Amino acid sequence: MTESSKQFTSLLDNTTLGRVERMRLLPMRRLTNRSRGEHLAGKGGTSTEFNDYRDYSAGDDMRYIDWNIFSRLNRPYVKLYRHEEEMHVVILIDASASMRFAEKFERAKQLAASFAVMGLMNLEKVSLFACQHAGETPQILPPCTGRMSMKRIFSFLENLPPGGDFPIEEAIEAVLKQHRGRGICVLLSDFLTFGAMERPMNQLFSAGLEVFGIQLLCSLELNPELTGDMRFVDSENGMTLDVSSVGDLIGFYHDHLGGLQDHLATLCRQRSGRFVCLDSGLSLDTILTDVLKRKGWVQ
Amino acid sequence: MPMNLPGFSALINAWWFLLLVPLIIFYFLKLRRPRLEIPSLALWRQVISDQRVNSPFQKFKRNLLLLLQILLLCSLIFGAMQPYLSSGAEQARYLPVLIDNSASMAALDAPNGKSRLDEAKEKVSKLIDDLLPDQRICLISVSSTARKLTDFTDNKRLLREAVARLEVGQVPSRLEDGLRMAQAMSRVQPIDTVVLISDGNVPSEVDFELPYKLNFQKLGSGGANVGIVDFNARRSRTGWDVFARIEGTKKPEGAEGPPTAKTLCEYELLQNGQPVKQETVSIEGGKAERLVFKVATSIATSLELRIKPDGFDSLASDNVAFLEIPAPRPLAVYCPMGMETYREALATMPDINLYPGAGSEPKAVDLKIAEGPLSTGPDTRVQFNVGFVPEELSNLVELVSGHTEVVDWRRTAPLLQHVQLLDVQIADDPKLSKGVGERDFELAGYEILAQSRSGPLILEKTIDGKLVYQFLFHTDRSSLVYRVGFPIMVQNLIQIAAQRANLLDSKALPTGSLPPQRITPETEIRVSGPHGYTETAKSDKDGFLSGLAAPYVGPYEITGTAEPLKLGASLLSSGETGLVTVEKLHFPEVAVSASTMVLKTDQPLWGWFAIAGLFFLLLEWWYFQKRPAGVPV
Repeated sequence: MTESSKQFTSLLDNTTLGRVERMRLLPMRRLTNRSRGEHLAGKGGTSTEFNDYRDYSAGDDMRYIDWNIFSRLNRPYVKLYRHEEEMHVVILIDASASMRFAEKFERAKQLAASFAVMGLMNLEKVSLFACQHAGETPQILPPCTGRMSMKRIFSFLENLPPGGDFPIEEAIEAVLKQHRGRGICVLLSDFLTFGAMERPMNQLFSAGLEVFGIQLLCSLELNPELTGDMRFVDSENGMTLDVSSVGDLIGFYHDHLGGLQDHLATLCRQRSGRFVCLDSGLSLDTILTDVLKRKGWVQ
Repeated sequence: MPMNLPGFSALINAWWFLLLVPLIIFYFLKLRRPRLEIPSLALWRQVISDQRVNSPFQKFKRNLLLLLQILLLCSLIFGAMQPYLSSGAEQARYLPVLIDNSASMAALDAPNGKSRLDEAKEKVSKLIDDLLPDQRICLISVSSTARKLTDFTDNKRLLREAVARLEVGQVPSRLEDGLRMAQAMSRVQPIDTVVLISDGNVPSEVDFELPYKLNFQKLGSGGANVGIVDFNARRSRTGWDVFARIEGTKKPEGAEGPPTAKTLCEYELLQNGQPVKQETVSIEGGKAERLVFKVATSIATSLELRIKPDGFDSLASDNVAFLEIPAPRPLAVYCPMGMETYREALATMPDINLYPGAGSEPKAVDLKIAEGPLSTGPDTRVQFNVGFVPEELSNLVELVSGHTEVVDWRRTAPLLQHVQLLDVQIADDPKLSKGVGERDFELAGYEILAQSRSGPLILEKTIDGKLVYQFLFHTDRSSLVYRVGFPIMVQNLIQIAAQRANLLDSKALPTGSLPPQRITPETEIRVSGPHGYTETAKSDKDGFLSGLAAPYVGPYEITGTAEPLKLGASLLSSGETGLVTVEKLHFPEVAVSASTMVLKTDQPLWGWFAIAGLFFLLLEWWYFQKRPAGVPV
C-alpha cells in the first residue's frame, strides 16, 4: 500500500485531519436553528447546562422543580437549562478562474474541508457551494451532518475544478437563493470583483449567517514585483489593461489593496462578522493553528 | 557680457523635425507590451483611474520610451543642423593662422615647464576643435622664413598632424614672409583676418602694408635666459683675437620689471674640439658681458663656445656658438698691367699677391680690377670695373666725352669711407637715357654710390655672392688719381676684398642659411647637420652653391667636394636671446596691439548633440530590451 493510498483525503493529510477533528468553530453570535443540535442556545432547553431559576407556574413539568429550594423556602422554583440548537455551517468557495493562480484554489479547498470537518465533528449541518460560471447555478453539496458525511465532502471538494467568471457578490446571492438556515457562512474567495459587496453582506446578515470572510491572495496580488510597460489580461473575462511604468504604480496598488481589505473588514465587522486576508503561500497548519486560532475563529 | 544665442549652420535640416509625427504615430501603433495574465483587473483598474496616477508627472513617466525616442530624434536633428555658440566675433570663412616657430618659441616658462610653441599648439588646437563646417584653416609657420604647413582645409586630422609635426626652428623671427604669404592667398580666397600666434619676440617694426586685419595672439613670456649673442674673431699680429658677447635676462626674485639680476655663467672655449679655456663669469641682467680670447694659430681652426648658466635657463639653443677661423694667406689681387695707377697703389700694401706678376696666375682671386668688359682673367669674389658701361645698363646710361663733377656720393659706403670726391674733375660724362631714373638702376640690381648732375658715376651690385663695383668713368681720366682719396679708396677696396675672403676677421655664421660656397661646377653635394638634418644640392655651372639651409644650431658638414667643408651655425640673435616681447606691431600705416585674450571662436555644438543622441539611444535600447521584472520567462 502506497503512502498516498493511506491518506484519507488528498486535501488534508491524516495528521492535519486528526488535528482539525479536534478543533471547533467559534462563532461570535449564536445563530442557530430551532431544531435541536449541539450548540447551546437560549434558556429553556433540555441540556445538562444549568442556566437560571424561575417561579413555578401551572403546567410546568414537575421534573424540573428544584426540591432542595422548595424544602428551604417552601416555594416551588423551576430550574432552567440551556437550550441546545443546531447551527448551519455554509461554506462558499469561489471557484472562478481568478482562484487558480498559485495555490489559492488548493488552499481554499483545504480550508473548506477543514471548516467542514470542524462543523461535522460538532454535529452541525454543513453545506458547500462552489461558484464557477456566472449565470449558472452553483455546485451544491446539500446539508449533511455526522462523521459519515466527511467522505462526501472530501469527494465534492477533490473533484472541484477552478474556472469561470462568477463574481463573488453574485455568487453569494445565488447561494442564498438555495440556502435556508442560520449559522455561519465561510466565504473563501479573493474578493477581487468589480461589484459592490454591501448588498450580499446585508443579505447574509439578514439570513442569519455570521460571515467568516477569508480573502486568499497569491504573491502576485500581495506583492507584485513588476516594472515597465505591460498589458494585463484578466483571467476571468479576458479583458486587457495597458499599464505603463508598472513599477511606479506599485505603491498606488498597495494603497488600493489595503483599502479593499479595510473595506471588506469593515463590512464584515459591521455585520458581526470576521474578515482575514491570507497569503495562499502559507501552509494549512500555519493558517489553522497560528492565524485562525490566534484570531479566535477556532479553538 | 552679452549673452550669445546659438546659431545653426545647416538650418535646412530642421525639416527633419517632421519625422516626429510618424514617430509618435508608430509608437502608439506598435507599442510592444508584454502580456501578463493576472487574476483580476479590479484593483489595477482602480489604480489606473486614481487621480494621482493621472497627474501630469506620472503621465510623463508612463511614456518614457516615447520620450526617449523623441529626445534621440531631436538630438540627431539638432546635431544635423550643426549648431554653434556664437562668440560674437566676426567669423572668417578662410582663416590663415601664422604660428611663430622662431628660436624664442622654445623658451620654457619654468624648469621642466611648457615651451612657447607648446602653448601656441594648444591655442591652435582649440581653433581646430572649434572649426565650423564651413570654415577652412591654413597653417603657416613663421620663423626667418614662412612655410605653409597645410592648405586651406577643414580636415581636422590633417590640421592636427601638421600642428604635431611643427618644431621650433632655431632661427630669428621675421614676420614679413608669413604676412606676404597670407597676402598672396588672399588673391585666391577671401581673407579678412589673419591670426598670428607668437610670443611677441619679433621685430616691432614690420615693413609690410597690411591688406587684412591681423589678430595678434600673444603668448606668455618665457623665463630667465642667458645666451651667446655674438661670436667673432679679428686677425691680430700674433694670431686671432676672439670676441664673444653673452647676455642675460634674469629678473630679480619676485620682482616685475627689467631683468637686472645677476647670473653666474660657466663658459668653455673649445678649439678643434679640445677645451682651451674654462671660466665662470657673472652676467648682469639686461647687459652684455664681453669675453675676449687670444687664439694663436697659423692654420684653419674651428672654435666652439659653450656656456652653462647657473640655474634655470629657458632657451638652450643660444648656449653654444661656432666659429670657423680660416688659415692666413696673402690677398690675391688681379690687376691688368695697363692699370698702372692701381698697381702702384697696390704695390705699397702688405700681404698682397698681385697678378699678373707674382708667379703663376691662379684660377680665382680675391679681387679683380678691370677696365673693360672683357671676361678674361681669373674668377673673383670682388670685381672692380672702371671706365665702361656694362651691357645690362647700356639702355639706361650712355658714356659720352665731356666734363663732369661729383655732386653727391654715399660717404658711408665701405668703398668711399674717408674718400673726398668733392671737386674731383672727370673727363667722362655718363648721361642718363631719356626717361630713366634712379629707380631703373635699382630694378637692375644696382645701387648708386656717387652721381654727377647728368647721371650715376659709381655703382655697386651684389650678384650670386659676388660684389661688383662699377665706375662708369675711368679714374685715369679724372683728377681722382692725384688725390689722397685714391690710395684710401684702393685701401678700402683691399679691406673689402680681405673681409670677403675672411682674411681680416671671421664671424660666426647665423642659423637660417649657410653662406654661398664656390666648388667644382655641377657637383652634387650633401649637407649633414645637427638633429639628423641632411640636404642634397648641386652647384651651378659656375660652381656656385647657395641656398643651403641651416635650420638648427650646430656643426654642418658639406661632403661631395674635393675636401669636406666644415661650418658651424649659431643662433646669435640678441632679440631671440633677450626674449624681449613687443606689445604692439607697427606697420607702415597701422599698429596692431597684442591680445592675450583667448581667441574668440564660434563653438560648434553638434558633437554634444551627437553624444546626447548616443546616450539616448543606449538608454532606449536598454529600456526597450529590459524584461519587466516579475514577468515569467
